[in-house]
Amino acid sequence: MVACGEWIVKEEILPDALLREFLLGKVGDEERVRIESLFLTDPEAREKILVIEQELTEDYLEDSLSAEDREKFLSRYGQTAAQLQQLRITRAIKDWAVRENASVQTVPNKLSIWSRLRARLRLKPALVIPIAVTAMIAIVVAGIWLNSRMKRAALEQELAQLNSPASLHEIPQQMVSLHLSPGAVRSTEPIIVLKRSAASAIVELNLPWIQKDRYPTYEAEIRPVGGAKLLTMPNLQAENDARYGIRFRFPARVLTRGQYQVRLSGIDADGGAATTEEYAFIVED
Amino acid sequence: MARDSEIPPESFEEILAWLNADRDVAAAMYVQLRHDLAKMFTWGRCADPEGMTDETLDRVAKKVHGLRPTYQGDPRLYFRAVANNLIKENNKKIKSQLSLEGIDLPVPTLTETEDDTADIEECLQQCLQKLGTDKRELILGYYAKEKQAKIDHRNELAQRFGITLETLRVRVFRIRESLAECIERCLKRKRQ
Repeated sequence: MVACGEWIVKEEILPDALLREFLLGKVGDEERVRIESLFLTDPEAREKILVIEQELTEDYLEDSLSAEDREKFLSRYGQTAAQLQQLRITRAIKDWAVRENASVQTVPNKLSIWSRLRARLRLKPALVIPIAVTAMIAIVVAGIWLNSRMKRAALEQELAQLNSPASLHEIPQQMVSLHLSPGAVRSTEPIIVLKRSAASAIVELNLPWIQKDRYPTYEAEIRPVGGAKLLTMPNLQAENDARYGIRFRFPARVLTRGQYQVRLSGIDADGGAATTEEYAFIVED
Repeated sequence: MARDSEIPPESFEEILAWLNADRDVAAAMYVQLRHDLAKMFTWGRCADPEGMTDETLDRVAKKVHGLRPTYQGDPRLYFRAVANNLIKENNKKIKSQLSLEGIDLPVPTLTETEDDTADIEECLQQCLQKLGTDKRELILGYYAKEKQAKIDHRNELAQRFGITLETLRVRVFRIRESLAECIERCLKRKRQ
């Protein structure tokens, strides 16, 4: 691990701004030779230069560079097939993080709350014990909440992975596929029954979209009939192979016996749910 | 360790011995040196950084026997000087062969085929599986915001982990490097 002290020294010798100029070819020969020599012989300097190079690449992909810097960047990092592949890989990593972050909210920063609490305790000592008891209860509750939140985050991550375009191209062996009809909750059509078995680890729902309007993305939500929401999957894309519809995969372990309702909503360009279609299925042992 | 095909075995061994007395350490230094020289050629806007790295190593290999007993200082700086001369030669050659003024060069684009996208996505998912939850969460948090908002966000993230922003940047860099290397290896396997 790099210690802070070393970084402070490096910041004096190699400031971020200077390294950005170097990486864009904007420094003179003498400075260039100095930086290149440090790059080859000093591990900390080397790592710092590579960190700045990575950040420069991010700025390029976020379109944050000026026109001149963009041109200079491309003349160095966007010429060969290998360089273009590296840019695509960086973009894929960033896109993945953006997708994941859209479905998983980050844990809020609690530091400022504690600072305020400490300030209040200093002013009112009589409140210390009641606040301490309340804080302990809050910690226990927060622990339980955090545990459930972590489980939910893990499930959301698993869902995102199961439903990535690459994963949807594959047909896992332990998958059972259900073809549901819209409106099945209210209709007199027989409801599809899923028999739970150890051999089925993944359930795939095929949800035909029979509404006239089409949407850029769809959101699927599953809940037991009369129960609380079990899981939600945003950003699903429709497929238009034989029939316009949406495929959605999730782990079979989340299901228990009973009847389930699936709500599929078309999400318009503004991010609002426009039209909703309902489907149903039953799980039996 | 595999040696570069153009370098005679005895010269290759001499280069390793020149870099470090411990052969394992020297081998690691050689691998890094190759990577770093290729970077230098990228910064020098050379069209074939890998090829020019090979050329640099070949040139040093031809001189290493006579040079090693008398050379003072870090041998990597000698490689740098050879690489620098090669960049100058290359630039002169380009200028004498062709003037680029007035020629509309195609603008490189990041467009890719559906196959490329699917391959990268598939390799990314495979490599993320190998990464471990902590590292995955760190990358996820680091890239949560873009443009101006990311500066404050990354400061908050560093504070939350109890580390400096600089340490956070290095940690993310190392994770991202290993992730990118894993994806590149996976893509290479797919295309073989």
